[in-house]
Amino acid sequence: MLEVTHLETVINDYISRELVQEPALLPLGNATPLLETGVLDSLTLLRLVLFVRERFGIMVDDVDVVPEHFASVDAICAYVRARVESSADQAGSRG
Amino acid sequence: MAYLLQHLLTESAARRPDRPAVAAGSRSLTYSELDRLSNQVARALLALGVAPGDRVGILAPKSAASVVGIFGALKAGACYVPLDAAAPAARLSGIMRDSGIAVVLADPARVPGAAALADGVPALHTVIVVGPSWGDEGGGTAGAAPAGLTVVGWEAVLAQPGGPVPAGPVIETDLAYILYTSGSTGTPKGVMISHRNSLSFVAWAADYAGLTECDRVCSQAPLHFDLSVFDIFAACQAGACMVVLPVRMSMFPVRLAEWIQQERISVWYSVPSVLTMLVSYGNLAGFDLSRLRAVIFAGEVFPVKHLGRLMAALPHARYLNWYGPTETNVCTAFEVPAGGGPPDPVPIGKACANTDVFAVAADGRRVSRPGEVGELYVRGPSLMPGYWAQPSKTGEVLVANPFQAAYRETVYRTGDLVTLDEDGNYLYLGRQDGMVKTRGYRVELGEVEAALYAHPAIHEAVVLPVPDELLGSRLRAVISADGGGLTREEVLEHCRGRLPGYMVPDVLEFCQALPRTSTGKIDRARLARAW
Repeated sequence: MLEVTHLETVINDYISRELVQEPALLPLGNATPLLETGVLDSLTLLRLVLFVRERFGIMVDDVDVVPEHFASVDAICAYVRARVESSADQAGSRG
Repeated sequence: MAYLLQHLLTESAARRPDRPAVAAGSRSLTYSELDRLSNQVARALLALGVAPGDRVGILAPKSAASVVGIFGALKAGACYVPLDAAAPAARLSGIMRDSGIAVVLADPARVPGAAALADGVPALHTVIVVGPSWGDEGGGTAGAAPAGLTVVGWEAVLAQPGGPVPAGPVIETDLAYILYTSGSTGTPKGVMISHRNSLSFVAWAADYAGLTECDRVCSQAPLHFDLSVFDIFAACQAGACMVVLPVRMSMFPVRLAEWIQQERISVWYSVPSVLTMLVSYGNLAGFDLSRLRAVIFAGEVFPVKHLGRLMAALPHARYLNWYGPTETNVCTAFEVPAGGGPPDPVPIGKACANTDVFAVAADGRRVSRPGEVGELYVRGPSLMPGYWAQPSKTGEVLVANPFQAAYRETVYRTGDLVTLDEDGNYLYLGRQDGMVKTRGYRVELGEVEAALYAHPAIHEAVVLPVPDELLGSRLRAVISADGGGLTREEVLEHCRGRLPGYMVPDVLEFCQALPRTSTGKIDRARLARAW
C-alpha cells in the first residue's frame, strides 16, 4: 500500500537536503517557488523526477513535466497524490 | 562597410527597418527600434564618460533588453562583459574587478544584485537600467539608489537622442567583448574577443547555416557563453529574427517542444544536453516542428544514440556539429549526413571558411594520415588577442606556428587531442589537461580544487570527472580533511559561495589520506579506477 501521509515532509526533506544550493532558502517552505528561486534547474529537476518515480512507484509522463506540477513542494504533492489515486483506481478496476 | 559588430545592426536597420530583430514573448523589436534604442544607450554611456575600450558589464539574462544593452555598449566604443547572474557574488565581483568595470547595464530585476556587488567592486560607480518590463519584472526604474552607486533609470536613457552615434576611434582589432571562462588555478580567465574575431565567425556561421531574413533563430545559451554570439550577431547580419527562449523553458522538454512549434523556430543552436532532454522527454511526435530546418549543436560531444533518435524524430532538418573553444569561437564544422544514422563518433569536421586548423603529434610532426593523433591548433582571424591581464597564460596557448618559418605567425593551441578520418574530417578524442565539460560548460578541475583548498579544514582535495551520458561529465571530489568534523553540507555550502552551480561537485568522498604515486603526486588514476 503506497504511503502518502507526510508526503510534504518526504518531498521537502529530499529537496532541502539534495537540491537546495542557497542556504538562505532553508528551512524550505512548502509554498516557496522552486523555479524562480533556482532550486530547480534542468539537472535538479531531472533528479527530482527520478526520486519521485522511485520513491512513490509512479510513472511521471513527459507531459507531466511542466512548471505547474513542480512549482513548489505543495504542487509536487498535489501531482503525486493525483497520480497515486489514478493508478490505485486503475488497479482497483482491474482487481 | 561592416568592420564592427554594430555595423551589422545599422546596415540591417537601413535595409529592413521594419523586420523583427528580437522577439521575446508577445513583444518584439524591429531593426529600426533596436537601432534607435541602442543609440540611446550608447549616448547614456558616453554621457557618463565611458570611453572607447572601456569594459561595460551586462547584468541581464538573454532578452531584448540585453541585446539593446550589448549594441549600446558597442556603439559607445566599449567592450561588453556578460555577467552570469547565477554565479556567486564573490566570483562576479572578482570578474568585475579584474576587467575594471565601472558601469553596468542591468535589467530592472537585477539592479539590486548590481548594488550588492558594488561593495566588492570599488571602481563600479553607475548602473544603467536597460529596458522597461519586457517580461514579468516590474517597471523601468530601479527604486532607491544604494550608497555610492548612481542608478540611471530607463526613462533617462529614453530621453537621449536616438540618432546615429558618432563613431569614435574604434577599429576592428579593438575588443568587442570579454567572456570569462574557468581558470585552472582558481580565478576565471577573460577571453578577449575583437570585432574582427567575432565577425570572422559571424560571417561564416550565417553563411554555413544559410541564414536569411525569414529565419527565426533561437540559441539557448546564456550571454556569457559564446554560442550566444550566433543568435545575436549572425541573425542580425542576415536581418533574421532572434527569438529569446523564456527563462527555464529548456528545463521542461514538452513545453520547450511546444514553444519551438509556436514560435516557428527555424534555426536552433544549443549544447547537446538540451537536445538529449528534448528527444527523450519532449514528446516530439506530438508537435509540428517542420519549420525547424537546422539544428546546430556545440560545446560538448553529442552521444550518437540520442542524436540518432533526434534525427529520426525530425528527419527534415539539417544537423550541424560545430566545434571550437571560446578562444577562437567555432573553428571546425561537420554536417551530419541525412538518413542512415550519424557516424560514431560524430566528427568535428573541417576548418571553417577563412580558418585553418592542423594537428601536431607528440613528435612535433603534422598529423596527415587517418588515425594519427595530435593536438589541434587553430590559425586565422578568429583567434583571440589573449586573456585579459594574463600575459603568461596567454603565452601558453598563443604560440608561434611551428610550421611557419618565414615569419612569426601566431596560432592557438587548443589542448584538444584529435585524429583524422578517411575523409579528412577531424575527430575529437579528448583533453590533454584537467579541463572537462559539464552540460557544455567548461570546468577546469583545478578551479574546483582551488575552491576546496580555500576551506581551512580541507587538507587535500582532488576533483575527478565521472563520465555522464547526459551531462558530459559530473564532478567527483575526494577530500581529506583535518579533524573529523567537516560535513558534506559544509563543503557544498563553501563551494556554492565561490563557484557557479555547474562547478559544485556532485559527489563528495572523504578519506583519511589521498593515495599517492611513486613520485609523491596524488594518484588520480587510482582514484578514478576506484569509482
